[in-house]
Amino acid sequence: MAEVERLPYDVVVIGAGGAGLRAVIEARQRGHRVAVVCKSLFGKAHTVMAEGGCAASMGNVNDNDNWQVHFRDTMRGGKFLNNWRMAELHAKEAPDRVWELETYGALFDRTADGRISQRNFGGHTYPRLAHVGDRTGLELIRTMQQKVVSLQQEDHAATGDYEANIKVFAECTVTELFTEGDRVTGALAYWRESGRFVVFEAPSIVLATGGIGKSFQVTSNSWEYTGDGHALAARAGASLINMEFVQFHPTGMVWPPSVKGILVTEGVRGDGGVLRNAEGKRFMFDYVPEVFKGQYAESEEEADRWYADQNANRRTPDLLPRDEVARAINAEVKAGRGSPHGGVFLDIASRMSAEEIKRRLPSMYHQFKELADVDITAEPMEVGPTCHYVMGGIEVDPDSGAAAGVRGLFAAGECSGGMHGSNRLGGNSLSDLLVFGRRAGLGAANHVESGAGDTGIPQAEVDAAMERALAPVTAEQGENPYTVHAELQQTMNELVGIIRTEAEIADAIGKLETFKQRVAGVSVNGVREFNPGWHLALDLRNMLLVSECVARAALERTESRGGHTREDYPGMRAPWRNQLIQCLYTGGGVRLHTVDQVPMRTDLLELFEYEELQKYFTEEELTGLATGATTGKE
Amino acid sequence: MTTTEAAPKPAPVPEGSRTVTLKIQRFNPEVDDAPHFETYDVPALPTDRVLNLLFYVKNYLDGSFAFRRSCAHGVCGSDAMRINGVNRLACKVLMKDMFAANGKQTTLTIEPIKGLPLEKDLYVDMEPFFEAYRAIKPYLMTYGNDPTRERIQSAADRARFDDTTKCILCACCTTSCPVYWSEGSYFGPAAIVNAHRFIFDSRDEGAEERLDILNDVEGVWRCRTTFNCTDACPRGIQVTKAIQEVKRALLFKRT
Repeated sequence: MAEVERLPYDVVVIGAGGAGLRAVIEARQRGHRVAVVCKSLFGKAHTVMAEGGCAASMGNVNDNDNWQVHFRDTMRGGKFLNNWRMAELHAKEAPDRVWELETYGALFDRTADGRISQRNFGGHTYPRLAHVGDRTGLELIRTMQQKVVSLQQEDHAATGDYEANIKVFAECTVTELFTEGDRVTGALAYWRESGRFVVFEAPSIVLATGGIGKSFQVTSNSWEYTGDGHALAARAGASLINMEFVQFHPTGMVWPPSVKGILVTEGVRGDGGVLRNAEGKRFMFDYVPEVFKGQYAESEEEADRWYADQNANRRTPDLLPRDEVARAINAEVKAGRGSPHGGVFLDIASRMSAEEIKRRLPSMYHQFKELADVDITAEPMEVGPTCHYVMGGIEVDPDSGAAAGVRGLFAAGECSGGMHGSNRLGGNSLSDLLVFGRRAGLGAANHVESGAGDTGIPQAEVDAAMERALAPVTAEQGENPYTVHAELQQTMNELVGIIRTEAEIADAIGKLETFKQRVAGVSVNGVREFNPGWHLALDLRNMLLVSECVARAALERTESRGGHTREDYPGMRAPWRNQLIQCLYTGGGVRLHTVDQVPMRTDLLELFEYEELQKYFTEEELTGLATGATTGKE
Repeated sequence: MTTTEAAPKPAPVPEGSRTVTLKIQRFNPEVDDAPHFETYDVPALPTDRVLNLLFYVKNYLDGSFAFRRSCAHGVCGSDAMRINGVNRLACKVLMKDMFAANGKQTTLTIEPIKGLPLEKDLYVDMEPFFEAYRAIKPYLMTYGNDPTRERIQSAADRARFDDTTKCILCACCTTSCPVYWSEGSYFGPAAIVNAHRFIFDSRDEGAEERLDILNDVEGVWRCRTTFNCTDACPRGIQVTKAIQEVKRALLFKRT
C-alpha cells in the first residue's frame, strides 16, 4: 500500500458538534495540541438542528429552581435508570456552562431585567431552557466555532501558526480506531474530497459523533447520524449500554412526504401549543401515567392557568416527557382519531396572536410555510413521532468521560450512554454536550499528562485498515449501498420502532443477519474523490452494528420503560430498573451482558419522597431508607 | 443522457409526479478537463424540494454524483447552489414553485455556487469563504474580567443585532455578489454580516478593531449596493442594509 500521512497529536476529537467542540476548547486550554475531525464542514454539525434550548437551573425566570429540582426531573424523565452520578454532575454544572457560553459571546433571549431568559419544556418543573428563539443549537455551535477561531488567532499571535494547537480536519471521516492491548493509539481517516487516507497518532481520543437515527426510516436526524462513534468504540473493545432506548420525538412533520420526520420543536408546546385529535379533543389528559399522577393538571382550565401562575397550578400534560407523549399520539392514531396524514394536530394558532407566534417561533413559522404550505398562525400543524435521539451509547466513567474497557478513549454527548437513562428530557441534550464535552476534554488532557506512552502504530495494521475501508471501491458487481440502506431503515422502523414485540424484534434480528452478507458485498462506482456511494457503504457498516445492538438489547429487556415499549411486556418492572444491558462486539456480531448499576447515593435518594421512590425501586433497594424522606428544597 | 447503471431495481415513480429534466453541471477532476452538463429525467411531486430530486439522481441514476447537504431544512447551510441561475438552498426550493406553466416540460439548471474553486460536481472549496469570515474576528471581544454569571443585556440591545445573528454561513450571499466574482479578495457580504453581528452587540468592545479591518481596501467600500446578496439570503437577512450600517459606522467614526 502507498505511504500514508501520519499526524501526531495529544488529543484527537472525532466530531465537531457541541460536545466535540467543548472538548476541543478544554483540551486546548490545558495546553494540548488538538485535532478535531468531522464529516461535515466545520460549523454545520447536527447540533445546529437543536431548537428549543439548553436546560440549566439558573432560576432566572422562577427562582424556586435549583440543581436538586433539575436532578429530580432528569431522573423521573429517565424512569430512574439514569446513571445518577452523571445526572447529578449535569444538574450541578449546567448553569456554569451556560453562563460561560454567554461570556464566549452567545446570544440569548433575555428577561425584562436583561438576564438569560428561560422557557418551559416537557418534564421540567420550572422554566429552565436558555434559548434563542427556536434556533438555540445553531447559536451554541456558532459560539463555540467562534471560540475556536479566537483561540487559533491567539495561537497565531504567540507562535505565528493558526493551527499550532487546534487543527480542524473538516469533511474527513474516521473509519477505524487503532489499539494496542487495552489502550487506544490512533485512528485511520480519509479525506472525503480526495479519498486519501491519513493516520492520527494520539494517546487520547474523544468520541463525540452523535447519534444513530439514520438507521430508521422516519427520523429528524441528518445524514451524519450513522452511529460512527458507537461502532468505532465497540470495534475497539468498549461496551455500549442502554442501546434499547431510542427516543421518538412526539412531534415531527408528517406531511408532505418529502419532509416527513423533520422536527417540530417542543418549544411550541412549552410556549402554549396543545395537542388535539381529529375530534378536537385535548387528549393528553387521558394519558397521564401512574408514576406522574398528581404532578400534572387534570383539567384544561387548570392547565391554562398554569402558564400565568405556576405556583398555584399544575402544568399541562402536553408537557409530559417525550416518551409518554409519543406513545399517546401513536395510540390516538391507532384508535382512528388521527389527522388526515396519520398524525395528530398541534395547535398554536388558537392560543396566541399571529405576531406572538412569529416572534417566539420564527423557524417553525417559516418551516411550515415553506415546506408544507401551512400557516401555523391560522391553522394547526400535523405532527407525529419521529426517531430523534438514542439514549444508549458508550459506557463511560461519569466524571472523566473515559470509555469502559479502552484506556485513552473518551466519549461525550449523544454517543455516550447513561446520562439520560431510558428517556431524555428536551433541553437536556445541549446542556449534556457542554457539561460532558468539557469533562471529556479534561479527562483526555489528564490522560495525556499521565504519560500514556508512545503511540507507534505498525504499518501492517494501517495497511489492513485501509484495505477494509477500500473494499467497496475494489469490489465488483456488488449491490448498490442505497438499496441495502433503505431496507435497513425500513426494518428498524417497522420492527424495532416505537412499539415492539418479541416476534417482530426476532424477525428484525434475522433480517439484520442477512444484511451482514449484503453490506460486506456492496460495491460502488467511480473514483474515491467525493464519492457519496463509498461514504454510504462505510457508514452502512456502522449503522448495521448499532442496529444489531438496538435489536438485541430490545429483545432482552422484557419490560416497558422510557424509550423502550414492549407490547408483550407492558409496564415497568422494578427488578429491571438497575439492570444495564451491555453490548460487546465480538467480530461476527454483538454479545449481551447484563450488569447491576451502582446503587444511588443515599443523599440523592433522599431528595425524593419515599412514596415516589416506591413506584420505581424494589423494596429491597429501599430498605434502610427513612420512610419520611423529604423533598429537598435547599 | 440518462444513466441507468448501478440501479438494480427500476427507480420508483411516485403517483401524481411529473417528469422534470435536471440539467446538472458535472465535474470529475480525475478525468474531466472542464465541467460539463448532464441531463437526467426524474419524477417530481409538487411537494418535493429540489434536494429530493438530487437525491433521486444520486440514489437511483448515478451514485457518484456529489453535492453537500446535511440538515435538509435550511438550518445548517450546506446545500447552497445555483438553481436556474439563482443562489438557493436546495432543501428550501419547493417544486410546485418551479413547474413550468401550462403543463410544459420543466427544466432546472443546477450549477455550483460561483466564485469559489470547483472541486467536484457541486462541491466547491469553501476555504476562501471561511478565511474571510475569520478575518473579521468573529468572536466577542471584551476587556477586563468575565462576570461570574451572565452579562446583562436589555431586550432592546439584543434586538439591535438580531437580524445578522441569523446567518448560517451558507455563502449564498457572497457567491451572488458580482464584486466577489471579479475580485476574490473582497471580504464579501457574509463576512461583513458577521462583523455587523459583533459591532452592534452591546457587550462587545472590539468594534474599532473590526471597523479598521473593514475600512481596508478589500472591505465594505467595495460594495456597490446591487442587493443580490439580500435577494439570495435564505434566512431573509437584510444583508445590504447591514453593510450600509457598517459603512455609516465607519463614516461616523471618522468625523
